[in-house]
Amino acid sequence: MRFPRLPSVGPFRESFWRSPLRGPWLTSVLGSALFPLLAICSITGFLSHAAYEPDLGGNAIFGGPGPGNGFDIYGFDWPTTPSWLYAATQGLHVITGITAIPILLAKLWSVIPKLFENPPARSVAHALERLSLVLLVGGALFTFATGVINIQLWYPFGFSFVSAHYYGAILFLAGLVLHIALKVPVILEAFRERGVMAPLREDLAHTVPEKEREAAAPTLTRRALLGGVGVASVGIGAMATGQVVGGPLADLAVLAPRGRGRGPGPNDFPVNRTFGAVGIERNKVGPDWRLMLHTSDERRATLRREDLLAMEQVTADLPIACVEGWSSTQTWTGVRLADLARMAGVDDPQTVEVSSLQPTGRLREVTLNRGQIGDPESMLALKVNGVDLSLDHGYPARVIVPALPGVHCTKWVGKMVFA
Amino acid sequence: MRVFRNLYGAGPLHLVGVLLSFAVAAYALSRALDLTGAPDRILLWLGGAIVAHDLVLFPIYALLGLLAAGVLVPGGRRTRLRIAALNHLRVPALASGLLLLVWFPLVANRAPGGFMRTTGLSSDVYFGRWLLITAVLFAGSALVLAVRARGLAREE
Repeated sequence: MRFPRLPSVGPFRESFWRSPLRGPWLTSVLGSALFPLLAICSITGFLSHAAYEPDLGGNAIFGGPGPGNGFDIYGFDWPTTPSWLYAATQGLHVITGITAIPILLAKLWSVIPKLFENPPARSVAHALERLSLVLLVGGALFTFATGVINIQLWYPFGFSFVSAHYYGAILFLAGLVLHIALKVPVILEAFRERGVMAPLREDLAHTVPEKEREAAAPTLTRRALLGGVGVASVGIGAMATGQVVGGPLADLAVLAPRGRGRGPGPNDFPVNRTFGAVGIERNKVGPDWRLMLHTSDERRATLRREDLLAMEQVTADLPIACVEGWSSTQTWTGVRLADLARMAGVDDPQTVEVSSLQPTGRLREVTLNRGQIGDPESMLALKVNGVDLSLDHGYPARVIVPALPGVHCTKWVGKMVFA
Repeated sequence: MRVFRNLYGAGPLHLVGVLLSFAVAAYALSRALDLTGAPDRILLWLGGAIVAHDLVLFPIYALLGLLAAGVLVPGGRRTRLRIAALNHLRVPALASGLLLLVWFPLVANRAPGGFMRTTGLSSDVYFGRWLLITAVLFAGSALVLAVRARGLAREE
């Protein structure tokens, strides 16, 4: 079967592409550098999905519990140890994603002439392979763009971010796995022909195209190009790391949204939803506030804040870790969830559904698993760093559980249903 | 088998792989279109992402690069100093452009209201920060070039 050629004009002419640096070796190096970052970013992304425990209560942000979500990860309970687990997985997700961006852009630069390949298809196989690049490139750009925009608290999408980012990533991975399978032989051949490191030792005079072709005189060595991409990656990754690790490193996060403290006070660590934004009436969190403890069919106790403060208190240093990739470790004090379960008359609770007073918002009701209720550091926190919680941090009471995603650490708690 | 290869252009395993990949992708796309409530927007963003990179971002930076190379290293005047000057322009320009690309929503202050409601902070600091970083990058690069210039000129 023969496929037609397009006229050799503009970008469809091979000599249109002038850089002597482009070639299979360069693309192979960039692809190999990208692979571990994408692997970590994907795995931690799916772990984050699992950490939301979408099979419990109303936790699922999309699709609902049960089968039917073919790729959804069920089957294990999100643990509470180590307490920094979610801070680590979600921090890695955002850091590896941002670190990958300069390499991804460089890799797209290195292969852009292939977009104008002539003839456009050499065989059915080649045509299908090129079609699969729509998944690869479109999926990658879609997933990266939505993620990067979302962590900057801008929502111009017109669709719901979570399900789009999740299924966009699966679309991307469908293209990526095929791409890797098809390109491993190309990578191995490039490294066998040129050596893995040898081209890095060429000076400018010896920087020639990988295969004989018409090209511009070089102005940059391959070493300098890859070095520049590497420095850009590490640099922009370090800026993202600032808001994950916090402390003195937060100063690195000059362009990241969460690198900024709000002041020196005990309640001045970052907030993910201010009190003013959720629309709770002020009198509902005043002296008349009550915590109601229920079982699935009846109310078992109604407690004032003073009643809770009179119970045995637990204090623990725990991170609050956000899906957006920032975290902040504080010293929390409150009542153990297990003690509240006992007070509700449930000895071995399997779940607890925690309701916030906030009138709207998807995660105003969150269900925790058995291990999360039973952990001795899981608490309904009343204080942070020795003082009462501020309204922005959930006064009168909020949930703090080791390794629990930040959005599940419900603030302004009004009701808990143990089952 | 040879007939298949001749017709298809690769072995049967290739076809199996491609079909598997397309099946998974079709599943993911159908779920995304089902769940997000705005299927047209999903398709717009998927297609738009490719167009924005391949036909907007790439041509812009490639043309700017060609322009810079044409001015600083015109044909027949390839001196080490001129090549160094080009690269001392490329590095800060690309770094600054990368930061603008990645942190565009904050630098351009796209969602000040939402940012304030969410974090309790104002988001108008980022443009100034980006500008400062850009200035430091260009100034630093120019300074290093100035220090190198004499040595490069002597080598010619």
